[in-house]
Amino acid sequence: MNASVASMAQEGKATTVKKTFSRETSVYININADPSVVWALLTNASDYARWNSTVVSLEGEIVQGEQIALKSTLDPKRTFTLKVKEFEPEKRLVWGDNMGNRAYIIEKGEAGQVTFTMSERIGGPLFPLFARAIPSFDESFEQIAADLKKEAETISSSKN
Amino acid sequence: MMTTDNLATEFETFQGELKSFILRMTASAQDAEDIVQETFIKAHSKIDTFRGESSLKTWVFAIASNLTKDMLRAKQRWPENVTDICREAALSNEVFFQQAMQIRQTSPQGKFEIKEHISFCFTCVSKSLPLEQHLALLLKEVYGFKVKEIAEIIDQSDDMVKYYLRVARSKMIEVFDHRCSLINKEGVCYQCTELNGIFNPKQKEQEELVKIKMVRDAEKSSKEELFALRMQILQELDPFESDAAELQLHHLEHNRQVMEKHLTERQ
Repeated sequence: MNASVASMAQEGKATTVKKTFSRETSVYININADPSVVWALLTNASDYARWNSTVVSLEGEIVQGEQIALKSTLDPKRTFTLKVKEFEPEKRLVWGDNMGNRAYIIEKGEAGQVTFTMSERIGGPLFPLFARAIPSFDESFEQIAADLKKEAETISSSKN
Repeated sequence: MMTTDNLATEFETFQGELKSFILRMTASAQDAEDIVQETFIKAHSKIDTFRGESSLKTWVFAIASNLTKDMLRAKQRWPENVTDICREAALSNEVFFQQAMQIRQTSPQGKFEIKEHISFCFTCVSKSLPLEQHLALLLKEVYGFKVKEIAEIIDQSDDMVKYYLRVARSKMIEVFDHRCSLINKEGVCYQCTELNGIFNPKQKEQEELVKIKMVRDAEKSSKEELFALRMQILQELDPFESDAAELQLHHLEHNRQVMEKHLTERQ
């Protein structure tokens, strides 16, 4: 998330910055959980649909350089083939295609808390031609952040 | 301070649990025997490093878990539909059924009991879980270790153990809910009752089934409660000592061999 977006953002609320040739949506949320748990949730493809209500299915292995196939509730008939472009355990995960990249960033905060930020930038020279056909990501981003927080905190606070 | 004499005495008190734990991880009676021996030898040679920060049982289970992980790490996990694949293979294997019938008729540990098969079935299906999740789930649900102890045994943080438990439970609950006809009328797997018909042809199956609380409570209990009842069946059974041990171990060895072949061919 760039600094100008971050300064305007409210926790758990997505922010979208539209430009002529690109669009960037971001959200951040504080999570009371260990980074390892958040990372484990973000990198276990076959488990996504259980906790993430915006995912219909996610197939493949989330490791550096691998391809994954994502079906989202935004467009369940379509399968997005994405490549894992950055994979820095417990810190940063980026996947994407030619259209754009989605980044997941985990920052360790005070005593058992992390700040999770997710952002996606789509764009390119042809972006103005199809920009209107791409639905807003805001609601979906807020849902993912809320789902991740709920699941990670449920795990971390479990007693058994 | 723990001496080698103390070790031998204490080891004996949980050796049975250790062996059944390794069997449930590896699906191999031979591997379970070997790893238990290797664990004792290793514990014996390292006893001076045991500081008493955990119980001896936890410390020994950690050694055994490491040996088990070393053995299983290079092997592929089994698919969720392992019992379907193995059933197909068994149907075309006359020798397997002849041997099984022989055990059924002559061995003091050759009884066929549905609850024993439920335990056997879990051993096969749970091998579809990733290794760390499988270890954590068995240690917690079947062998009663606390999260902190499991964290020591598998050398992970408490939070990661909680994560493994959450994901593993959820996966197993879903798999059995979809597959097991004992708890879901739509379930695709009915091998336990099918085999019961073969091995106990004169038995009234329904009378046997209602003895099992998980089956009795199937309609009124949640998926989670039914999973807990399934785990209770495993807790109460020693797969090496029960009246059905020889028959079930023979079946398990069959499935292990079928899976090794299946996974090799798939590569």
